[in-house]
Amino acid sequence: MIQLRNVSKMYPNGAKALIDVSVRIEKGEFVFLVGPSGAGKSTFIRLIYREEKPSRGSIILSNKNLARMKDREVPLLRRKLGVIFQDFKLLQDRSVLENVAFALHVVGTPKREIGIRAKKAIELVGLATKEKVLTAQLSGGEQQRVCVARAIVNDPMLLIADEPTGNLDPETAWGIMELLYNINKRGTTVIMATHAREIVDQMQKRVIAIEAGKISRDEAHGGYGYDV
Amino acid sequence: MTSSSAGYILSETLHSLRRNPMLSFASMLTIFVSMVILGASFFFMVNANYMASTFESQLEVSAFLNQDITPEDIERVRGLITVLPEVASVELVTKDQALAQFGQNMGANQSEIIEDLGGVNPLPDKFTIKTTDPQQVITVAQQVETITGVKKVRYGPGVVEPLLKFTQWLRWIGVGIVILFTVASLVLISINIKLNVFSRRREIQIMKLVGASDTFIRWPFLIEGMIIGMIGGILAALTVGYGYNWLVEYLTMTLTFLPVVHNAVFFGEVLTGLILAGMLIGALGSTFSVRKYLRI
Repeated sequence: MIQLRNVSKMYPNGAKALIDVSVRIEKGEFVFLVGPSGAGKSTFIRLIYREEKPSRGSIILSNKNLARMKDREVPLLRRKLGVIFQDFKLLQDRSVLENVAFALHVVGTPKREIGIRAKKAIELVGLATKEKVLTAQLSGGEQQRVCVARAIVNDPMLLIADEPTGNLDPETAWGIMELLYNINKRGTTVIMATHAREIVDQMQKRVIAIEAGKISRDEAHGGYGYDV
Repeated sequence: MTSSSAGYILSETLHSLRRNPMLSFASMLTIFVSMVILGASFFFMVNANYMASTFESQLEVSAFLNQDITPEDIERVRGLITVLPEVASVELVTKDQALAQFGQNMGANQSEIIEDLGGVNPLPDKFTIKTTDPQQVITVAQQVETITGVKKVRYGPGVVEPLLKFTQWLRWIGVGIVILFTVASLVLISINIKLNVFSRRREIQIMKLVGASDTFIRWPFLIEGMIIGMIGGILAALTVGYGYNWLVEYLTMTLTFLPVVHNAVFFGEVLTGLILAGMLIGALGSTFSVRKYLRI
């Protein structure tokens, strides 16, 4: 599914975010990325959806090397990915439905399909009754659900989440995790960077720990593993 | 691009115009003011140029001939003047024509004047010489003066030199003002558009993340820039058009000696130019400003 080979990432200011990282993630896996802040988790995530290019090494995603991918091919890559952020990144002045449909519009989905698919995704995240509400008026948990709906509406093969529960209270966070769990069960690969110890400990999924730019631990069924 | 995308791009454009009315209005105002300044300075330049040419075209060299000159000699002198490369036209004003004109000015007929002057026409024959370039008046005058048969040359020394200097300055000031205000309006407009795009960087970022192509992201900005530029340009054309007409009317009534350009075709061209320039600036400004945020 996705394979990193000897990937290093240096930023122009000289900071080394990742050093010679090699890892392989199979289709259908659920992977937690853990580690201290600034250790390289976010860089790892950004490399996968090609916001950044690696300084060295290769990243193979569905037979394409992202390190050599041309800029104009990037949109096509991103249409196969779903991305979720801590700060949601929603259009605040638009309704739930418009936000989800947005992802379909910009990739040129035929109009008659857009409404049907967007509503289906919204129903899946449990917001069917709020599809006409502006996202600015929703709670944090609900906004994250909209974000999840937008991420999955294109049926991505890979869902990337960068601290999706970082801004949510524990109860709401569990609601989001349940969603991601269900999406994963339907076959979508999920990679999630997180600091949420309880969630990682309890879900017992694969855990990749990154420290100082290197993979320090990779367990098939692990826990968070750090003492705060 | 599919028709569904085209429709969506259009609705996005309208949405953004409605959502940021103040910013859209500010952009439109910027383009409006810039185009008014540009149009006004352009008309100033054209008029300065026209004024300079009018003043200059009134410059000519008068070569007075000897009183006792024969018709053959007159033709010889004419030939010598005509071959000078800087000379555009040579016109003979005979002593009789000169007298007739003099008489007309004085309100008397020719025979009466001759009688009053003692039976002799005291006026000499004269060549009126126009030069190809007004700047050459002095050179031509100096060369004509050396021809035998020419008694005296007049070209208004002491008037020509400062006048030529003045017209030269008038032209430079006109061009300078246009350049200055073109640069100023471009800076003003680009700041404004950058502000507009900056306020929507989040939207651009989201579009990039869900896989919109750069072209798709640019379109709404491009169309929006063009619409705003067009409205600003039309308002500017109206303002400049009515303003200039009013000014011309006022000037031709009060300062009758002042030459002003009043040409309907040219007028229309300038105003159309303002509208097109507004659209172009709006569209280009948006495209260039968006580019910065597409690097995600």
